[in-house]
Amino acid sequence: MSSVVYSNVEGRGFGRELRTLVRSRGLLWDLISKDLRARYRNAVMGFVWAVLQPLLMMLILWFVFGKIFGGRIASVSGQEHSYELMLLTGLIFWQFFASALGRATTSLIDNADLIKKVYFPREIIPIASMGNSVVNLAIGFVVLMAMYCWIEGSLPGIGLLWLTVVFGIQCVLLIGLSLLCSSLNVRFRDVGYAVDVALMMGFYATPIFYSLEDVQHAATNYPMAMSILSLNPLVGIVTGYRTALLDNAFPALNQIAWPILCSIAVLVVGVAVFRRYSPTIADHL
Amino acid sequence: MPLIELDKIAKSFSTRRGAGMLLGRGGLADKLRGRNQGWFEVLHDISFTVEPGEAVGLIGANGAGKSTLLKIIAGVTAPTKGRVTVRGRVASLLELGAGFHPLLTGRENVYLNGRILGMSRADVDRVFDDIVAFSGIGEFIDNPVDTYSSGMFVRLGFAVAVHSNPDVFLVDEVLSVGDEDFQRKCRERIGELRSQGKTILFVSHDLSIVNTLCDRVILLSGGTMFVRGTVQETIDFYLRQIGQKKGIHTIASTSIEAIVSHGRISAFHNRTEISATSGFQVHLRSMGFVHSSPSADWNVVARSENGCVAVGKMPRLPITHTWRLQLSGSTLTWAIEVECERPVQIEGIDVNLFVKNSFTHWQYRDESGMFPEIAPQQQSYLEVVPGDAVVHQTGAWSDDPNGPSPLSVEVVGNAKPHRLQWSNTDYTVGCRVLQVLFNDLGPDNVMPAGRHELITLEIDLGADRDRILGYRAKYVRGTALTDGDLTMRFADGRFSLEWRGEEITRAVALYSSILTHNIWNDSDKLHWSYVDCSGSVMRVTGRSRRFPFAQHWELDLRDGALYVTISIEAFDDFEMDEYHTSIGLRPEYDRWQSDHELGAFPPFEEGLEDWRHANRDYAPGTTIKALSRVLPSVILRSTASDIPFRMTALNTGATDNARVLQALRTPESGRIRLAPGRHLYFQGLVRVDGANSL
Repeated sequence: MSSVVYSNVEGRGFGRELRTLVRSRGLLWDLISKDLRARYRNAVMGFVWAVLQPLLMMLILWFVFGKIFGGRIASVSGQEHSYELMLLTGLIFWQFFASALGRATTSLIDNADLIKKVYFPREIIPIASMGNSVVNLAIGFVVLMAMYCWIEGSLPGIGLLWLTVVFGIQCVLLIGLSLLCSSLNVRFRDVGYAVDVALMMGFYATPIFYSLEDVQHAATNYPMAMSILSLNPLVGIVTGYRTALLDNAFPALNQIAWPILCSIAVLVVGVAVFRRYSPTIADHL
Repeated sequence: MPLIELDKIAKSFSTRRGAGMLLGRGGLADKLRGRNQGWFEVLHDISFTVEPGEAVGLIGANGAGKSTLLKIIAGVTAPTKGRVTVRGRVASLLELGAGFHPLLTGRENVYLNGRILGMSRADVDRVFDDIVAFSGIGEFIDNPVDTYSSGMFVRLGFAVAVHSNPDVFLVDEVLSVGDEDFQRKCRERIGELRSQGKTILFVSHDLSIVNTLCDRVILLSGGTMFVRGTVQETIDFYLRQIGQKKGIHTIASTSIEAIVSHGRISAFHNRTEISATSGFQVHLRSMGFVHSSPSADWNVVARSENGCVAVGKMPRLPITHTWRLQLSGSTLTWAIEVECERPVQIEGIDVNLFVKNSFTHWQYRDESGMFPEIAPQQQSYLEVVPGDAVVHQTGAWSDDPNGPSPLSVEVVGNAKPHRLQWSNTDYTVGCRVLQVLFNDLGPDNVMPAGRHELITLEIDLGADRDRILGYRAKYVRGTALTDGDLTMRFADGRFSLEWRGEEITRAVALYSSILTHNIWNDSDKLHWSYVDCSGSVMRVTGRSRRFPFAQHWELDLRDGALYVTISIEAFDDFEMDEYHTSIGLRPEYDRWQSDHELGAFPPFEEGLEDWRHANRDYAPGTTIKALSRVLPSVILRSTASDIPFRMTALNTGATDNARVLQALRTPESGRIRLAPGRHLYFQGLVRVDGANSL
């Protein structure tokens, strides 16, 4: 009882931040499970949507880019891996990133009534808001694995371990961005719109329905394209997933060095900004 | 170690919210040009600590920063300056049902809400049944909360919060939600928490609850805190501070101060408050709800140093209060009037004079006694003396020499039918209350449109104890008059006669009745006011519940006869078809004698309920007599020479089984018309003569 439960001036270092999160994990799980349970309630097909959504998305992309514009995309033909696997790998991890960031950005505003009323570590809200996307990712991943076995005729090997490493990098980046965007969005609602636009552009600026090689081909005509693309940390990440899963190899260092650097930088900035704004978030909701 | 420590807290808000438009006022462009947006400070230099087990009240006008301060303590927002430390779990009852998800069931939300308030799953399991029981949600607990009514929603939220067993409770005006029954439950629960030694931080406009619940009170005004010595002193300071505004007026003489503040009167004698924190107020009971006068929108329309007129319009009833207050000496005269815009369903009106629980003794009718202690488990009002008799003077005093000065309350002038009653309030309010109860304001509980003068009270705030005790002499127990062998007893509107301890009257006994609008209005059905006895004379007033008249009876028992004078007071033009004054006697009386005739009462006929006249000659006279072989003869005589009465003898129906002597007045033609005012109705006597038997 004499332990300080709340103080506005207590130091909140990085380690402390993490400890607070660990201490509040119960609440975190409850909030996530609330989201999941509420999500598909009143929807007749329930969780089927979570499976259908990435599948249908893949189907349409496969049809449009694989069949209709198939001839123009190098990776469709003459590659060692099936276009379908490549597409699905890029797609599920992109969709995870996009939906998680989109949701996290508005999470503080969506949960205004809670934040304005009760004290708890605010970080929980943007993080908990990503739970749904994680579940969707898991479902998509099962579908990916099934397809892999069907097409390749074998189980994926050591590449799964490397995939986890890349996923770790993506998560650090995602959490950093979520903290940054969610807290800024409370003060400047522009951030929400900016994130929407950025995600829409990101879908094309990330090798999802094409591969990095396709861009290298095109780069002869548009030299700027490659350098702009290389600024996007997700390029390295998505390519890294493909290397890990499809080539069973650890991604080249020059491929993932920039994403790692970006992730750490974004996390540090995100935590700093979130800490700066979170105590008075309630005043702006 | 203190649970809550606040050290020089300040909180500022920007006058604008959000980032603003790029080019708008206070926007980015203005910022770049160096035009700063304004800040205003809602809290300034607040420092206090709350120790475990304390109950601290926060009071202050709207916008004083109370809720912001609670939010800072709850950790919802951080102060701009200063240091806040909270050791222990805080549950705020300020925002009930926070984080309830509309699509989830009540059960799921209880678990989630419990978690948000810092409970573990096992904690919630343990109190789950209590939560459901307290909230009264019942089987709906497994329905999604978006199917709940807003009341159910709030009740469930409150139930979770009070069962979350935190170290500190923050309570913000929760008592104003839910229905009457739930509010009572909340108050009980908060009282319980208090007696369990829980730490409570309490924000309320209900000063009486703050006063009883809290050990300390902090007044916030304009963002700054004020604390005076005691809870009471802080509250007094607050009342004085807000005493400048439009719904408020202070009447003062050298020793007395009465603050009329938005439908509540606080009274002080020599700077000590006589009234409890709830003050004197009026409650209207309509359709199962209590509408209190402080909820009205008040305006003091006339002011002077020793009086004022305050008008308050009720928000949810088409009713306007008008209070006229006048102070002379130590007596505050309070005239209460209500005006109905249209007929209103009103079950009753209570004028409540809440007075300090330091009053130890009461005086009522012919009695006086001590108020019982108010126990913590007391959850409803407790009648301290049966308020059945209609009394027009009462009082209370304290046996503590440092206590408040004696209080005397007297009903003056014409009042609507009412009764006075002393009660103890429940524990949370924790004081004495003199209630003036009006339960009969119109047929079928509908109060007609128009102005209604309810009552005028003379409240002596610096009364004399002996004078109050002197009121007892006016009320004789049993309200009976005795002269030799003859006793006249008055109870429940019935005047009966006893001869040597045995009743000789029967059925309605001595009574009067008026025929108007085809209805016989018997006197025993009137609303009888207080009985005033002095010597051999009893005076009592009965007022009709239906028609605009009252009867004043004066009874004088001497020389073996009961001298009866009845006058009728019409409050409006009033017409009667006929009326009579009669006495019902035992069936042993078998013969009668009038001025003109002599005869025997006919036998009662089985099954016949109509009354039967015995005499044939109805010519006006003065005397009618009943005779018996075993009982003393009874004579009813009229002495009002200018009113002609037909003196008759009758049998009642077989059920009542009584002989009746009657003085009947019928108009020569048409109806008997009465102008407003007082008129003689009957004057005469009833002589009971033991020697004059057959």
